[in-house]
Amino acid sequence: MNLPTLPLAQREGFHAPGIEIFEWPDIVHLEVAGIDLSINRVVLQMFLVALLVWGLFFLAFRRPRLVPSGLQNVMETLVDFIRNQIVLEVIGRDGLRFLPYLTTLFVFVLFGNLGGVLPLIQFPLNGRMALPAVMAICSLLLFISVGISSQGPAYFRNALFPPGIPWPVYVLLTPIEFVSTFVVRPVTLAIRLLANMIAGHLILSVFFVATGYMLTSANISVIFGLGSLIFSVALIAFELFVAGLQAYVFTILSAVYIAGALEPEH
Amino acid sequence: MSDSGPPREPSGRGADVVWSIIGTLVAGVLAWGFIGWLLDQWLGTRFLVAVGIIVGMAGAMYLIIRRHGGG
Repeated sequence: MNLPTLPLAQREGFHAPGIEIFEWPDIVHLEVAGIDLSINRVVLQMFLVALLVWGLFFLAFRRPRLVPSGLQNVMETLVDFIRNQIVLEVIGRDGLRFLPYLTTLFVFVLFGNLGGVLPLIQFPLNGRMALPAVMAICSLLLFISVGISSQGPAYFRNALFPPGIPWPVYVLLTPIEFVSTFVVRPVTLAIRLLANMIAGHLILSVFFVATGYMLTSANISVIFGLGSLIFSVALIAFELFVAGLQAYVFTILSAVYIAGALEPEH
Repeated sequence: MSDSGPPREPSGRGADVVWSIIGTLVAGVLAWGFIGWLLDQWLGTRFLVAVGIIVGMAGAMYLIIRRHGGG
């Protein structure tokens, strides 16, 4: 092959990280009744985040004081944020009984996402489909049961047959309503979070690998390496923002679905 | 938040409206596209999946306009 016609990157052996950076080998191989329960890095990180969320709330509210200080102060601010900005805004007073679920959801998603920018961890937990899918299914089951418990079987009638439409049109609309409420909602909830985390992790990886590559090459690339180093740092800030935003979006949409199940549509 | 003051419409639903519109559009295409595909398999035709997608889009737009369109 004629070397000079090859692209520069290929000739010098630069390999951009691809989707394979989301795959981790098993640390402990475990299979129970044909179900793969192996533990890999992602599972360990999930345990860690779960422990961290539990520990933070436990330490903060173990001995709650009337005038909060330290950790209790921080965690109360967080709970207040979910209470005022999400629960009261979207569902209203009736929704306060869902505050524990929504707070847990928010904090767990947030900490899972933050792993993507945390030094030494550097992997977003929600960049694997398992967690977003399970959390979306939780939200789906929750809003269905909220609908059934607050409206009875009429919940399905209200959800599938929007009022004020001539009955022959239901033939056209009921399949759409069914798919949009019970399929598209959980699927988009999970994919929105997953895709954001995958994209963010890939961008960060490509930028840092390329920065390292350019800075260590002994030619003009070093200048571009410096530029991309600065940009990489800005991207970390951006990923921090995305981590928070996606946790917020996941939580607020779960709250919106619960609110929709509490009262029939008018 | 405060308990006094005039009652107001819950805000924070802007994102909800956007996602609801996108979700309904996607659902329309998926639901009727799938029905069209099933009919295609059954009847041995090939055009019903396209018809289904268009029908689903039309239905989804009707739903969106009813739900979010001004009135």
